[in-house]
Amino acid sequence: MKNFAYATALSPASARTLVASNGAYLAGGNDLLGLLKEYLISADTLVNIKSLPGLDKIERGKKFWTIGALVTVAQIEHDAEIKKTFPGLHEAASDVASQQIRNVATVGGNLAQHSRCWYYRHRDVPCLKKGGDLCYARSSENRYHSLFTGNDCISPVVSSLATIFTALDATAVVWRDGQELRWSMAELYAEAWRHRLAHNSLQPGDLILRVEIPTARRRSAFLQVSDKHAFDWALVSCAAAAEVVDGKLKSPRVALGSISNVPHQVEAANSFLDGKVLDDDVATQAANLILQNAKPLEHNAYKVPMAHALIRRALLKLKGDA
Amino acid sequence: MPNWPTETKYISHATPRIDGVAKVTGRARYSSDIQEKGWLYGMILRSKWPAAKILSVNLDLARQIPGIKAAVVAREGEFTVRYYGEEIAAVCGTSKQACLDALRAIEVKAEVRHEFVVNENEARKENAPEVWDGKPNSTTPRVRENGSVDAAFSECAAVIEGFYSTAVQIHNPMETMGNTISWTEEGVTAWSSTQGISSVRDGLAGSLKLDQSRVRVITEYMGGGFGAKFGAGVEGLLAAKLSKAAKAPVRLMLTRFDQALAVGNRPSSFQKIKLGAKADGTLHAFDAENYGTGGIGAGGDGGGGGGGADIPMPYLYKVPNTRVKQSAVAVNAGPSRAFRAPGNPPASFGMESALDDLAAKLGLDPVELRLKNDPNEIRQREYKLGAEKFGWKEKYKKPGSSVGVVKTGVGCAGGAWPAGGGNKNTQGEAQINPDGSIEIRLGVQDIGTGTRTVIAVVAAEILGLKPEQITVKVGDTRFPPGPGSGGSTTCPSVSPTVFDVCTKALEQLQTQSGLADARGKNWFAACKKLGVNPLVVHGKWQEGLSASRAGGVQFAEVEVDTETGFVTVKKILGVHDCGLIINQNTLESQINGGIIMGMGYALYEERVMDDLSGVVLNPNFETYKLPGIADVPEIEIILVNMPERGVIGIGEPATVPTAGAIANAVANALGVRVGSLPITPAKVLAALGKVPPAHA
Repeated sequence: MKNFAYATALSPASARTLVASNGAYLAGGNDLLGLLKEYLISADTLVNIKSLPGLDKIERGKKFWTIGALVTVAQIEHDAEIKKTFPGLHEAASDVASQQIRNVATVGGNLAQHSRCWYYRHRDVPCLKKGGDLCYARSSENRYHSLFTGNDCISPVVSSLATIFTALDATAVVWRDGQELRWSMAELYAEAWRHRLAHNSLQPGDLILRVEIPTARRRSAFLQVSDKHAFDWALVSCAAAAEVVDGKLKSPRVALGSISNVPHQVEAANSFLDGKVLDDDVATQAANLILQNAKPLEHNAYKVPMAHALIRRALLKLKGDA
Repeated sequence: MPNWPTETKYISHATPRIDGVAKVTGRARYSSDIQEKGWLYGMILRSKWPAAKILSVNLDLARQIPGIKAAVVAREGEFTVRYYGEEIAAVCGTSKQACLDALRAIEVKAEVRHEFVVNENEARKENAPEVWDGKPNSTTPRVRENGSVDAAFSECAAVIEGFYSTAVQIHNPMETMGNTISWTEEGVTAWSSTQGISSVRDGLAGSLKLDQSRVRVITEYMGGGFGAKFGAGVEGLLAAKLSKAAKAPVRLMLTRFDQALAVGNRPSSFQKIKLGAKADGTLHAFDAENYGTGGIGAGGDGGGGGGGADIPMPYLYKVPNTRVKQSAVAVNAGPSRAFRAPGNPPASFGMESALDDLAAKLGLDPVELRLKNDPNEIRQREYKLGAEKFGWKEKYKKPGSSVGVVKTGVGCAGGAWPAGGGNKNTQGEAQINPDGSIEIRLGVQDIGTGTRTVIAVVAAEILGLKPEQITVKVGDTRFPPGPGSGGSTTCPSVSPTVFDVCTKALEQLQTQSGLADARGKNWFAACKKLGVNPLVVHGKWQEGLSASRAGGVQFAEVEVDTETGFVTVKKILGVHDCGLIINQNTLESQINGGIIMGMGYALYEERVMDDLSGVVLNPNFETYKLPGIADVPEIEIILVNMPERGVIGIGEPATVPTAGAIANAVANALGVRVGSLPITPAKVLAALGKVPPAHA
């Protein structure tokens, strides 16, 4: 990697000043250091944000919970209250990478991570996402790529936390030059839908401070399928969340990861599910709605039946014993 | 003829690894742990083009990077590179980062050739780009025919036709390839991660034009080798050149990225098999065509030397009417090298899959079909033993009859390894000191399989001592010559040699001490009588204590989720023979490792090449997938001890049947076959007909 300066920030304002125009925020470093080592990005200054006060806490509230950007994935995984209140979040955190990575990986870093597309990550392939003029995946090895895209890059968002946060309708609070922006997950990734170079909507200097999760959906579930049993990226992941009142779904939301350059959700499916009593037929119809505009490529069409199964299973998990 | 003792205390019993503590506490020194005074990091610049003519390599700017002590080219003058990752130059310096910076500062002028081919099916087409100029990519098929194949099929009660394919498997031992090399006026010392200290010594001496006596190779500890680590490699020669130029020891261990590109792999196979049997299951006709790629190591008219893509067909079985047609295909990718039981895992997978497909068509039990046709009596016993232990009769159901979304299935497969005998030239020596301590020295290397422990077990048995009393010294070309650790030959080379060394040493100790039996409780008294000089006794491999040809059968039980395509292996039972068992612990470890490697071959491992850019797309463990501990099922091992045969190696046969057994279990669960390894969720869903067509 190229040489860089290193500084520790003690407040978001000083972090912003230190990161200047070509710096990067360093927390767990899982993604950042890999990007730097492969010369995929460069940074003049790495700003250590691990000492920013208050961002490593999980705070419980009546209407919503707040999860600081520096909370580790392992903290979420091992928090007994989260497991009770947001079981899907517990499941998503437990499936991330390996225990060692979960111990240092942060919520902010998980949400802001770059594409894992093997062309993007390859040091000698000048793909579209790196400013090249060809998406190699589209006509070559696209087994891990998207069924949906808003531009000509087909690398999917792979953050499992983004998938479950989408289903839980969480808000990301982003610090931008002294202001707190409040973004839905859709907004956090909207730019990746629009633009081939973008991995998310964060601009240089933007810092995710925390995520707020409404408590309105007391049932949630997360499922993923990978090639292997553990320590492997999801081929498809699916999260579902809802409140169940008198056996009927209220405010249901379903989101999928690894099949689109944003967490994939279909409003029509959420509306369709609202007020329904869950059964196989309802789950199947929702899955059909969610996947009806999929555009499978030569090697990733298997993701359609796989996603279909995960949607149905995640929804039926919401039924629980009730 | 000498004989192994029949009443034993250690041989055929279970002794923990004598170097286990050194390994888990980090005291064991591997090649990458060697830190000679003034040592430097070394790194290699590799071609970023799959095909190019290199016109010039300018190292001036690289040499100016702070910390860089030397830079060398891989080849002088203009040269051609034929795959992504081929070596171009190397640098050494005081830090890894200095080397990385220097690699980026090397200026390479190249005429890039945009015509290349990395896919073997593309390379076989008529107008495919030539990997070797003027030579066909595919070898002329070699055809072997016995009997009247075409006529024989009409005499069969059932005939199946199948297409079975396996992927290129990359050599990925825990320790990557590499060396620490010091080249001074006295000569070269190489700490190598190698399976053959002698072959590395001879290779280095030849390439560097040095007397063999001036090259010393040391391998104290080694992190695994599966056939690719017999020479110093290009990386070794570059390390030596760098060491000479920099006048300092150079450690050049490959990165995991490097490892995926240039240092060997198992060729792919594409097997079209037609198999027919009589109504009672007797195999009658076999017609097969197979090709695979050995990367640039394959190719027509000797362009690349052959590539070793051939596999033994129809494998374990004798079919009276047989036709086999095989060829190797060159592509612009790194060359193949021997890989644990070369040819056998793909052969077992293809043939054992075909057998199960035939069993299904005949309505026969797969174990019965094998008992009917496998000519090997030991495997016959193993199938019976295994089926009993596995509960085959209770577990086996007609293919596809498992109900529900998650289906279960069982499968079996056989394997063999024709070699596994001893190396006749193996020698060793024992030094017995007056204080009763004893050192056995043998120029073999312990590649992680437990060779040190085997030596201690045999010596302890013969001398009536405990294994921990034996100091074992291996991994140095200054010791009497030992075998390369390949072909499952180490244990049958080393055990008879240590037997001979210790038998002779004991005789001499008894003569010198005047004690009729110097073993066990008399040991120290006898040694004391040596006076001041230690006793050094030389010995060599003896006929009659080892043999070759081991085999085994394995049974697999799987669960397959038919909605997600996900396969879980629940259990593997391995029944293996390797003659006289020396040490149960390290033997079982070998079989565990072989089965886990076979699981990787069956379900996860595949080198993915990109047609457009020509690069290896998965040069890391993120996307080159290996079994992790969560993937490993219950493994049960039945050892068939056959002392009457002498010692036989187990390294290779242990990994042979696994993929076939798993593939058959998956086919049994689904009722349809996934004929292509690795069996990924995507392929399972495709076999079930659940995958929609690509969007137009």
